[in-house]
Amino acid sequence: MKKVITRHWKFMGILTVLLSFTMVFFTSNTANAGSNVVRIGNIIPLSGPSASVGEQGKNAREMAVEEINAAGGIKSLGGAKLEMFYADSESKPEKGVAEAERLINTNKVNVLTGCWNSAVTYPTTAVAERYGIPFLVPVSVRDTITEQGFKTVFRIAAKDSWWTRDQFAFLKDMEKEFKIKVKKLAFVYENGDWGKGFAGQWKELANKGGYKVVLDEPYPSTSTDLSPVVQKIKRAKPDVLMLVSNAADAILLTNTLAEYKVKLKAIIASGGGHADPSFLKAAGKNAQYIFDIVEWETDVNKPGAKEANAKYKAKYGYNLTGESVDAYIAVYVLADALERAGSLDPAKIREALAATNYRSGTGMIVGYEAVEFDASGQNKHASLVMTQINDIGNGLERITVWPKAARRAGYTPVCPMPKK
Amino acid sequence: MIYILEDAINGILMGSIYGLTALGLTIIFGVLKVINFAHGSLLMVGMYVALWVVSFSGLHPYLALIVVVPVMYLFGYCLQDVIIKPIFKAEKDVREPITVIVVTTGIWYILDNLTLLIFGPQYRNLPDNPLKGKMLEIGDMMISVPKLWGFIAAVSTAAAVYWYFQKTRTGRAIRATSLDREAASLMGINQYKIYNVAFGIGTATAGIAAVTLVPFYNIFPTVGVLFDIKGFIIVVLGGLGSMGGAILGGIIIGMIESIAPQFMTATWTEAIVYGLFLVVLFVKPSGLFGVKYDW
Repeated sequence: MKKVITRHWKFMGILTVLLSFTMVFFTSNTANAGSNVVRIGNIIPLSGPSASVGEQGKNAREMAVEEINAAGGIKSLGGAKLEMFYADSESKPEKGVAEAERLINTNKVNVLTGCWNSAVTYPTTAVAERYGIPFLVPVSVRDTITEQGFKTVFRIAAKDSWWTRDQFAFLKDMEKEFKIKVKKLAFVYENGDWGKGFAGQWKELANKGGYKVVLDEPYPSTSTDLSPVVQKIKRAKPDVLMLVSNAADAILLTNTLAEYKVKLKAIIASGGGHADPSFLKAAGKNAQYIFDIVEWETDVNKPGAKEANAKYKAKYGYNLTGESVDAYIAVYVLADALERAGSLDPAKIREALAATNYRSGTGMIVGYEAVEFDASGQNKHASLVMTQINDIGNGLERITVWPKAARRAGYTPVCPMPKK
Repeated sequence: MIYILEDAINGILMGSIYGLTALGLTIIFGVLKVINFAHGSLLMVGMYVALWVVSFSGLHPYLALIVVVPVMYLFGYCLQDVIIKPIFKAEKDVREPITVIVVTTGIWYILDNLTLLIFGPQYRNLPDNPLKGKMLEIGDMMISVPKLWGFIAAVSTAAAVYWYFQKTRTGRAIRATSLDREAASLMGINQYKIYNVAFGIGTATAGIAAVTLVPFYNIFPTVGVLFDIKGFIIVVLGGLGSMGGAILGGIIIGMIESIAPQFMTATWTEAIVYGLFLVVLFVKPSGLFGVKYDW
């Protein structure tokens, strides 16, 4: 009997310690919250296969929130501070939907952002629409996200039909500029929503452009060995290889392509894994000469961009990427809308977001001139740049090459790829 | 034809490495009768250890085995001794202790997320090393050198563990425990100590698998999950508890993954692998090379 009692006491002791911990945690949380805050829910992949990109998006949001709060918060709401709530989607659609419900019902968020993975964003926006909570999508490229007829969905990034359109425009320009003949294309892409969306449009564009598709190969992003896919590429003998990859497979694919000495005139990638900061580090020399389409590059010609990047790099240790910049602007666009709405009523915030015309300010560090949404909620001005990975004396870096007006001064792209 | 041969060789090499990642799973199951869901995470821990050893010392990746194997053995030994053993004792009347399986799931989540917290989600790989990107070129055929090393490591590890279990006193004690833990205890074998040793050996083989992967694969916190799922399929395919079965099961999966994509898209190979898995479960639930009784 005595033993049972002591065990009981031990258990009570542990319970008390745990309870006091949670108490401290909650009180510190609510102390921060106060009454005068704007609650922003963010659903992003913080673990799982896209954790790397999720963390970058989180950091970019944090930096913007810090800046806005330090500058006095939202003035029309009496200096209300922005408070971020993060939820981990693990890149899973069902998780995203559940977390949206939780953020709206439990955390009472005023507005939502996310989710990076198109497959997660698509069903999650439906939850926001049902509750009438505005949903700002920094980047998730699938076309259909803004084509559901939803009133509350707004997207900053370009949609995937614009990405593929620009990739083919770039290819045509390169053929002219470097007088190379491109006839055979190979499409290799991750078999998710994102890759399949791109590939569908590539096929149409290839048909229109008179190219021959010699390989059309989806692969699972969780592959542990991509040499079978690389062998297929090698045997199909394409001139140009077009890719859609997440980070782990982008690294594996690039290294395996180099190992098997696959000869190509050019590799054109689609951001995502190829734009991940760890890609350059992990693939190293094998990544040289790859073309990658992105929304933003550190050498963009816009006041404030260099400073923002330097600040971000000092804080988190790597450069901003197109996708983290989208997250950064999103917070500023949101702050701008809240300022004009002067209310936390979701309908008012939605009205203000729809009327957005964000042209200048600390957050405006993208190449294009403004953030302005069309009737479907798509940012009309979003545009893309093509970069090349190359080493011009300061280690491997990403250099903007297209459109020609945006090309870094003094740089000539390397095309076709020299033999290694 | 030469293409098929090239793919088959790649499949055998990569498959044997899959088999090696599953070897520890099969050993631990054979002895403890517990499906170790944390096995992929142990592999991940091994990869990080190997990464540090090689990048700090700058030695040949396989020399890292000298450090990785004892470190992983100790890690597994302590993990079993400190975390799993108490639960085993609480459930000692059950033949297949379910709670222990739940605990290994917990260990998996804790290890993966701790790594994510401490080292961040970045993808890492070895800096230049004597094996990275090396290819053996025979005519038109290309064979990856790091995978060839992996193949040798896999076969010799399986052989060594098999020999150890057959010929040494501890090995025989391990087999006795796996056959009948009560009877073994009555014969004076300390079953919990045997569990510790078996878990240690299983973890050490995960360490060896990690060393074979590090020269050509990425290292990130959730890397284990990719190999975990494959490991389960391999172990069931080859027969739970069978060491040769694990390597052969791995090779079968590797061959399917390597040859099938030449006739269809790579996505389909997964369907084939899982399909085969189901067929084996229906037709021969003890696995292709498994025996009806343990060991």
